[in-house]
Amino acid sequence: MKLSFHLDQHPRRGLQPLSSPPAGYFERLPTRVMAQVAAPTRRPLLPAWLLLAPAYVRTGLASTVLLGTFAASLWLGSGPASPPAALAPTLANVPQEQLLDYLTSDAHLTLLDLAELPAQHLATTQQYLHPSATELTEALDAQPAEEAALL
Amino acid sequence: MEDHEILAKFQHPASRNLAFNQLVRKYQQKVYWHVRKMVIDHNDADDLTQDVFIKVWKHLENFRQDAQLFTWLYRIATNECLSFLQSKRRKFFLPINDVGAELTAKLEADPAIAGDEIELKLQRAILRLPDKQRLVFNLRYYDEMPYEQMAEVTGTSVGALKASYHHAVRKIEEYVTNADNPGYSSNKAD
Repeated sequence: MKLSFHLDQHPRRGLQPLSSPPAGYFERLPTRVMAQVAAPTRRPLLPAWLLLAPAYVRTGLASTVLLGTFAASLWLGSGPASPPAALAPTLANVPQEQLLDYLTSDAHLTLLDLAELPAQHLATTQQYLHPSATELTEALDAQPAEEAALL
Repeated sequence: MEDHEILAKFQHPASRNLAFNQLVRKYQQKVYWHVRKMVIDHNDADDLTQDVFIKVWKHLENFRQDAQLFTWLYRIATNECLSFLQSKRRKFFLPINDVGAELTAKLEADPAIAGDEIELKLQRAILRLPDKQRLVFNLRYYDEMPYEQMAEVTGTSVGALKASYHHAVRKIEEYVTNADNPGYSSNKAD
């Protein structure tokens, strides 16, 4: 006859039924765990007073730094507005008629070239304002109307 | 060192490492054996035990103390074990029985069990239980944990835990009684 097994009648083999871990395991385990969790002490990247300052102070300082950086980059990146000093006297010394001849020559000029010239060389623009109406009309009539904007 | 002392010292950076070292020394054996009974293999238990304490280190500062520290530790260890066993089953795309067979093979190789036929049958029967039921059984039978504390660890009601434990005992007794019977089914208990 088969004997029934009753758990409460079975002598429990202590609290741990399996074999013990290697000798010294529990002596070493805390050290091994600490090695994984405890980071070395480092110097903070930010000064302590900044970390303790209120949020609005830190926000204001950060905004000031950002704006200052932006302003500095704009100032450093901006080029000279006036033309190089060596060029100005040379253009001023060229006779007006020679300039007109150059502009009315067969050399192809685009509106872009003419648009850029006054912005970069204001002195040249001043010279073109001095010719008479007749000279200007004759010069313009001699130009082929290639751009639609002239029509 | 009492738990409240450990928690107080842990809050201060200057004494945090010391406090945590004390915590590990105080609870390492309980955590290790809780894990080891679930995963059987010492190396797996070692990895999981370390993972448990690493998680404790990360979250102890936020421990609300609405439960005992030991209960909280057990809860973390329980979740680590169940996640480990679940991922083991998913990783190799094996039927559930194969993971069970792997655990059984490790159990049969354990020198503490070898030579004791009844004890081996008992351990095999325990391994056949579903993971959560096996966990409940271990906590009650080996750790003699009160059901109220077990409810905090597992997040299950006391009534459900009592029912689970009694069903587990019945299954184990049935398996051990019939284990030598050639006609007895070898399928995992449901």
